[in-house]
Amino acid sequence: MAMNSQYQAGRIQRVWQQGMARRQFLKWGLGGVAAVTAVAAGGFALLRRSPRDDMPAPEWATGLSAAEYHLFERARVVLLPVEGTNLVDSATVPVVQNVQTTLSFLDPVTRKELGAGLSLFDNVVVFSHGCRFVDLEAGPARELFDRWGEGSVLQRTLTTVIKQLVYSGYWQEPATWPPTEFDGPVSDKWGLPYLGNAPLPQDSPVASQQEQA
Amino acid sequence: MSQIRFQASGLKVHQAADVIDSQITLDADVVIVGSGAGGAVSAYELARQGKRVVVLEAGPYVPSQAFTEDFTQSLHDLYQDQGGQANSSGDLLVLQGACVGGSTVVNGCVCFRTPDFILQDWQRDFGLSELTEAELAPYFDEVEKNLSVHDNGEHEIARHGQVIREGAKKLGWSVKPLRRNIRQCGLTGHCLSGCKTERKQSMLVTYLPWAQAYGASIYSDTRVEKVLTENGEASGVEAVITRHDGTVAASMTVKAPRVILAAGAVQTPVLLLKSGLANRSGQVGRNFACHPSLLVAARYPQPIHPWRGALLGVHVDEFMHPDKGGFVLEDGGFGLVEMTMLAEPGTGKPFMDYMADARYLSGLVTLIHDHNVGTIEWDGERKAINYQLSNADFPSMQRAIKAAARLHLASGASEVYVPASDKRVIRSEADIDDQVDSLENAPQHLRMVSYHPQGTCRMGADPDASVVKANGETHDVPGLYVADASLLPTSIIVNPQITVYALATRIARHMS
Ligand SMILES: Cc1cc2nc3c(=O)[nH]c(=O)nc-3n(C[C@H](O)[C@H](O)[C@H](O)COP(=O)(O)OP(=O)(O)OC[C@H]3O[C@@H](n4cnc5c(N)ncnc54)[C@H](O)[C@@H]3O)c2cc1C
Repeated sequence: MAMNSQYQAGRIQRVWQQGMARRQFLKWGLGGVAAVTAVAAGGFALLRRSPRDDMPAPEWATGLSAAEYHLFERARVVLLPVEGTNLVDSATVPVVQNVQTTLSFLDPVTRKELGAGLSLFDNVVVFSHGCRFVDLEAGPARELFDRWGEGSVLQRTLTTVIKQLVYSGYWQEPATWPPTEFDGPVSDKWGLPYLGNAPLPQDSPVASQQEQA
Repeated sequence: MSQIRFQASGLKVHQAADVIDSQITLDADVVIVGSGAGGAVSAYELARQGKRVVVLEAGPYVPSQAFTEDFTQSLHDLYQDQGGQANSSGDLLVLQGACVGGSTVVNGCVCFRTPDFILQDWQRDFGLSELTEAELAPYFDEVEKNLSVHDNGEHEIARHGQVIREGAKKLGWSVKPLRRNIRQCGLTGHCLSGCKTERKQSMLVTYLPWAQAYGASIYSDTRVEKVLTENGEASGVEAVITRHDGTVAASMTVKAPRVILAAGAVQTPVLLLKSGLANRSGQVGRNFACHPSLLVAARYPQPIHPWRGALLGVHVDEFMHPDKGGFVLEDGGFGLVEMTMLAEPGTGKPFMDYMADARYLSGLVTLIHDHNVGTIEWDGERKAINYQLSNADFPSMQRAIKAAARLHLASGASEVYVPASDKRVIRSEADIDDQVDSLENAPQHLRMVSYHPQGTCRMGADPDASVVKANGETHDVPGLYVADASLLPTSIIVNPQITVYALATRIARHMS
């Protein structure tokens, strides 16, 4: 088992490095992420076990694997610190539920590719940090996001996707708006009257016949 | 004209929820695919000529009262692919409306006529000698009048527009109020979530109810899958009606000797490719351009509240002509979710500080005159939008970012955020070249959005180099027309809705 996972680790690292070298590869979307992960399949998910592997995901998380739930939960903590601001604590906002809803709109093929990419993100950090992303301290995790933002196409893709999902999962919640003075929906609040449909154009030949009729 | 019954509010739409039969067959004079800018105008023009018109729309019918003014929710309810439509590399979000009224329901109301220098390119390079400024002027006049297009009044220039105007004046750059299709703007700033109180003169409250008054029928939740032909001529379409839970309610066949495709610049070529039609030139799905845009945000010393007031107020046209740069800058409002997509001054605390101070931010939208380098493909299962900013266009993008930064600084901003995947903050003129010259034209580096897909079934006189003629009819299939943004042979730099309305009006008039 140990040998096997060492072998897997070497193989994955080679594939990963190839991915890094392909900076100019143009069609490097989530499909590319899936390709890397497919080669690195097998014992990959168990490359380094995490205490979180034994913690079940909550019942509502039916659209996320347990590993994905833990990844987004960790990303929530890492990406949305509120100390020193008057912003709302992300623990009180259904961030990961909202991420799950957004992911539910993806077509099955893209969803599968994204799942592969997320798994890659979680696991590949083992090479640089000695533990999976879900177990990384907040400081190094933030540095990782910043460094990857300047990294290869693959790194930029993964960090952008994760950040965007988590940020919109948080900021879409009305509870997060008051400290920023964001007004949210206003038409009803302001009592704006509805104007209805615009009148038929009067100079159109048929419309003028209608008037005469 | 006793049959004209004009509904003062809302539309009567056949929806999936109303369907009882599993197979529906209709006869019409004209069947129109899509109910956005091109589809709605065509429907009205032809219905008022007494034609039996059927409009098929893949998206749902969402009445204005149901608009939420919540951007995330609106992406899910009103946009193509729930707002997630992107290019193959995932770094260009291609936003399109997918509902009755199409993109016109969610657009920013900005109205420009096609610049004359673009029409001249079309005349010279595509043999479109008929499409002169003088020929098109009456069509523009008419649609602008119908849609209450007017220069923004002073009250329609929000704080974010006012500061930008001041900066442009200091720099001596030409700055003008934007023209918009709106009546009594409610100044909510929620244009991109649909105009709840029916002030935006979108197709939902203009041409569609007008078409309906003249007898056009509208079917929502109805995706056209194939264009039919008989003896080489258009003869109708096949469609599928799908309930909102994803189950199929019915299949539909509409028999009609005239078919107008107005499904937008991504879906119209997909439909032609699926149908195996009108592609003798091999140009269907090619020549995709999209005005890749950036929203360059900046921090000001005073509160701006970028979500307050009319969404778009003024524009800088100093650099519009390709000889002067080939880009336009428009001040643009935004809410919190949009802000997170723009830029990041670092992960964690710097980002949350930036968001906590959101009210001090103001934005500039850059639009560039890109080359038609993209393709739309259909692999039998999924569409693909293959588009990467070309190396020829990257300098334009850099020039546009530099101009936006210079303008923000002149307007009094203390920090300008370059919308890149890494942290790039400009604090003074001296930073501009450093921060912008070192950008790379690589996937996932710039955070680009397209609101203006176009060009994928281009017009032209030469049947071997274009898909449709100047009158909108495909070269290959008599009776099969295209009347949407797919037509535009080159990108037009400016926001395209008025161009689509004018061309669709002309196409419908020439059909009779
Ligand atoms: C967020 C946003 C902001 C914008 N802001 C501006 C602006 O301020 N000014 C401006 O000039 N332009 C703006 N635009 C662009 C403008 O709205 C479009 O250029 C214009 O609406 C294009 O018209 P169209 O007919 O090509 O397609 P659309 O208006 O997009 O209509 C296409 C319709 O076809 C439907 N459809 C697709 N496939 C099928 C099928 N197979 N069967 C049946 N129906 C189908 C779609 O659901 C959609 O409703 C904006 C667009 C967006 C998305």
